Amino acid sequence: MMANPVLDLRDLNKSFGALTATNNLSLTVMPGEIHALIGPNGAGKTTLIQQIYGALKPDSGQIFLNGRDLTGLSVPERIRAGIGRSFQISNVLMDFTVLENGIIAEQARLGQSFRFLRPAFSDANLIEGASAILDRVGLLDRAHLPVGGLAHGDRRMLELALALAASPSLLLLDEPMAGAGPDEGQRMTEIIEALRGTVAILLIEHDMDAVFRLADRLTVLVEGSVIAAGTVAEISQNKVVKSAYLGDED
Amino acid sequence: MTGLFHFANLVRAGIRDNQLLWMLVAGFALFPLFTHFADLPFWNDVAMRIMLLGVAAMGLNLVLGYGGMVSFGHAAFIGIGAYCVGISQFFGLSNGLFHILLSIGVCGALGLVIGYLALRTTGIYFIMITLAFAQMLFFLFVSLEQFGGDDGMSIDRADFLIIDLYEPLRLYFLIWVALALVALLLMFIVRSRFGVTLRAIKSNESRIEAMGLVPLHFKITSYVISAMICGLAGTLFASWQEYVSPDIMHWTRSGELMIIIILGGIGTLAGPLLGAIVFLLLEEFLPVALGAVAPAYAENWMILFGPLLIMVVLFGRGGLVGLLDKAIFSRIFRRRMAVK
Amino acid sequence: MTLTLILEQIFNGLQAGVTLFLVAAGLTLILGIMDFVFLAHGAQVMIGAYAAAAITQATGNFFVGLGLAIPVTFASGYLLELLIIRHLYQRDHMEQVLATFGLILFFNEAIRIGFGPAALYSDLPESISGFVEILPETPYPAYRLGVIAIGLICALAIHLFVSKTRIGAMVRAGANNPEMTAALGINIKILFRLIFATGACLAGVAGMMLGPLTSVQPGMGEPLLILSLVVIIIGGIGSVRGAFIAAIIVGLVDTLGRVFLPSILRLFFEQATADGAGPALASMLVYILMAVVLIFRPTGLFPAKG
Repeated sequence: MMANPVLDLRDLNKSFGALTATNNLSLTVMPGEIHALIGPNGAGKTTLIQQIYGALKPDSGQIFLNGRDLTGLSVPERIRAGIGRSFQISNVLMDFTVLENGIIAEQARLGQSFRFLRPAFSDANLIEGASAILDRVGLLDRAHLPVGGLAHGDRRMLELALALAASPSLLLLDEPMAGAGPDEGQRMTEIIEALRGTVAILLIEHDMDAVFRLADRLTVLVEGSVIAAGTVAEISQNKVVKSAYLGDED
Repeated sequence: MTGLFHFANLVRAGIRDNQLLWMLVAGFALFPLFTHFADLPFWNDVAMRIMLLGVAAMGLNLVLGYGGMVSFGHAAFIGIGAYCVGISQFFGLSNGLFHILLSIGVCGALGLVIGYLALRTTGIYFIMITLAFAQMLFFLFVSLEQFGGDDGMSIDRADFLIIDLYEPLRLYFLIWVALALVALLLMFIVRSRFGVTLRAIKSNESRIEAMGLVPLHFKITSYVISAMICGLAGTLFASWQEYVSPDIMHWTRSGELMIIIILGGIGTLAGPLLGAIVFLLLEEFLPVALGAVAPAYAENWMILFGPLLIMVVLFGRGGLVGLLDKAIFSRIFRRRMAVK
Repeated sequence: MTLTLILEQIFNGLQAGVTLFLVAAGLTLILGIMDFVFLAHGAQVMIGAYAAAAITQATGNFFVGLGLAIPVTFASGYLLELLIIRHLYQRDHMEQVLATFGLILFFNEAIRIGFGPAALYSDLPESISGFVEILPETPYPAYRLGVIAIGLICALAIHLFVSKTRIGAMVRAGANNPEMTAALGINIKILFRLIFATGACLAGVAGMMLGPLTSVQPGMGEPLLILSLVVIIIGGIGSVRGAFIAAIIVGLVDTLGRVFLPSILRLFFEQATADGAGPALASMLVYILMAVVLIFRPTGLFPAKG
C-alpha cells in the first residue's frame, strides 16, 4: 500500500505575461524521500518553490501538504503548517550571532515570540533549544560568532539549520550548495544525506553529483513542464532527458 | 550611522548601554541637588524639558531604532497626549491619573489605526504617510476653535490627589518617575522575546516570515506602544508648559525627535536621552556662542544648527561628531583599560 | 449667485491644484527615481517667491522679476544637488530626512537674516490685476486665470517632455527600474542633476506665482510641501501623470471642502454642530482622501513601478 504523499501539487499553472513559468504541473513528495527538481536555468524551479512556499500565487491548481489544502494560505501560515525553506541566497539574520539566530528560531517554534518580560538571549531553555538546532549542522562551536563574520559555507549551514528549526514535515532546499567550495559542498551533502528518512525534502540543485547521490526520485522541468520523472536510474537512462538537458552537461 | 558615542566601543570598554541609561536616569534624580546648591533653578526647567523630550524620543526609538520604521509623525501623539489634558480640563475633569490613562488609551487607539494604514507600505511611502497623518491631526486642532484653534489653550497643572504639582520639584519628580518607568519598560521590551524578534524583523523581515511569524503584528504592536509612550510624554508636557497649542504637534517637532535619536545613538537605550541632553544644550548654547561672535544674530542660531545636522550625516563616523567621540571618549576608556 | 460661487471656487481649486502640481511634479521624480527623501523641496518654493519679489523690487518690473527668478531657482537646485544632495543618494532614508531637515532650517534662517522675519507683499501690476468675465456676470481675477493657464502649460510641457523626448524616456525608465537605467550606460549623475534642478525650478515657479496671492515669508513652502506629499502618495510615487491628476483632485477637494462642507453639514445636522465640525472636517478632507486611497491602492492611483 502506498503512503499518502507529504506534498501533493495538482495541475499548477503560473505565467508572467506571455511567459509560462509553471505549466500544468503535478508532483508528489513522499514521506522521508529526497525529491530533486532539476532543469536548465529558467525552467521555473524557483518559481515553483515560491508557489509552494506562498510567496507567489499560482494562477490555477492546488497545493496539498499532508492532505491539507495550502493554496490560499500566507507564508507564515504555511510555515506553521509544516513547511521549512532554505533560500538560494543566504537569508539569515546578519546583525546577530549564530546562537541568537537559533534562539529567535527556537522561540518562534515554541510560539513564544510575543512575550515581553524575560530577556530572550539569556534564557536557559531557549539556549538549549537553539543549541540543539545548531548542533544538527555542526555549528555549535561557532555559536557565539556574529553571522556577518561567518564563512560562506557556514552561513549556508545556518540557513539550513533555521529551515529545520521548526521540525517541518517538508523541507524546500533551493540550491543549498550554491556558491559553496568542494569541501563545503561535501559537508552539505553529508548533512542532507543524514536527514533522509526524517523529513521529506524537495531539492533544487545544479550540482549533478550531489543530486545523483542524494535524490530518491527526480523530476525534470523544462520551460515550466515536467518532461520526465522517476528514480535516478530511470532518469539517467531517459533519452528525452539526455537530449534536452543532461546531454548539455557533457 | 553612528550616534554621538560608539556604543560598540562602550561595550568593549565594559560599559553597557543600559548602565549608561541608568547612570543618566540617576543623574536626573540628583540634578536638583546640584541646581539648589549652585543656585541655578532655571536649569531644573531645562532638565524637565530634556526628560520629557527624552521620554518621547525613547518611545519613537522603539519603532525607529529597534523596528527600523522611519515614522515621521510621532509629534502628533505628543500633541494628542497634551490635548487630552486640555480637553479633559475643558470639561472639568482635573484628575491627573485620569489624564494619563486617557491619553495612553487614545494614543494607543490612534497608533493602531495610523499604524495599520501606514504599515501597509514601506520605505519612502511609510515616511510620508506618517507625516501626512500627523499633519492631518495638526490641522484638526488648528481648526477646533472651541479648544483655542491656532492659539491653543491654557492648562492647569494636573491634580494628583495628594501631590500638589505647584509645589517646587513635585512636577520634576513626577516627570522623573515617568522617565524611570519608561526606561525600565523599554529595557525589558528590547531584551524580551518580542524585542529580539522586532530587531530581527529590522535586520531581515523575510527570514522572520520564514519562521512562521507575521512581521506586521510585531510592527503594529511596537508602533502602538511607542505611540502610548509619546502620549504619556505629551500629558506631562501639558503640565510642564501649562499650555498647549497645535504647535506642539507641528511636523518639525517630529523631525526634532528624530534628530535627538540620531544624535544620541539610534537603536540604543541610552541614546534618546543622551540625544535630548545634547539637543537642548545646543539649543541653549548655540545662541550664546553665535551672540558672542555676531551679537545681532544670536536669535538665528538655526543657521548653524542646520548645517551641523548635514555635517553629522555627511561625515558620520569621521566627521565632527565622530571626532568628538574619538578624541574624548575612546581615549578616556583606553586609558582606563590600560590601567586595568 | 450660488452657481457663480461654485464656479469661482472650482477655479480657485484648479489654481491651487496646478500650483500643487508644479511642486509635486519634480518631487515625485526625486522620490521615485532617486529614492531620495527630499524634505527641503518647500524651500525651493520659498526661494522662487523671494527671488521674484526681490528682483521685482529692485527693477520695479513684475515681469522681469518672474523672468529672472526662473534661472535663479534652476541654478539653486543645480548647485544644491552638486554640493550636497548627490552625496546623500546612497544613504538610508533616515539620514536623508535628517540632512534635508537641516537644509530647511538653514534656508529658512538664511531668508530670515537676509529679508527679515516679516512677510513681504508684492502688488500686482495694473495690467494683470483686473477681472475677466468667465461667464456673463461672473468676474474672475485675471491673475489667477493666468496662474491656471501657466500651470496647465507647464503640465503639458512636462507631459510632452517625459513622453516624447529621449531624456524623458530615460526618466520613465528610471522611475521603473533605476538599476536597469544605470546598467544601460545612461549618465545617471547628469540625469539626476537635471531632474533635480528642473524640479526645483518648477517649485520655484509655483512660489513666484503664489507670491502676489499669499504672503512671502520664511517657511512659506512647507504647507505646500506637505500637501504635495499627499498628492504624491495619492498619485503614486514617480508618476508625473498621477501627480497631475492627484494635484487637481486635492486642490479641488481642499478648496471646495473648506467653502461648502460647513453648509452641506448644515443640511444634516444642527447649525452649532455643523459650524463646529465643518471646518475641522474640511481641514482633514484631503488626508481622509489619502487614507481611503491607501486602503484600496497602497501604491497610489498610478504606480510608476511595475
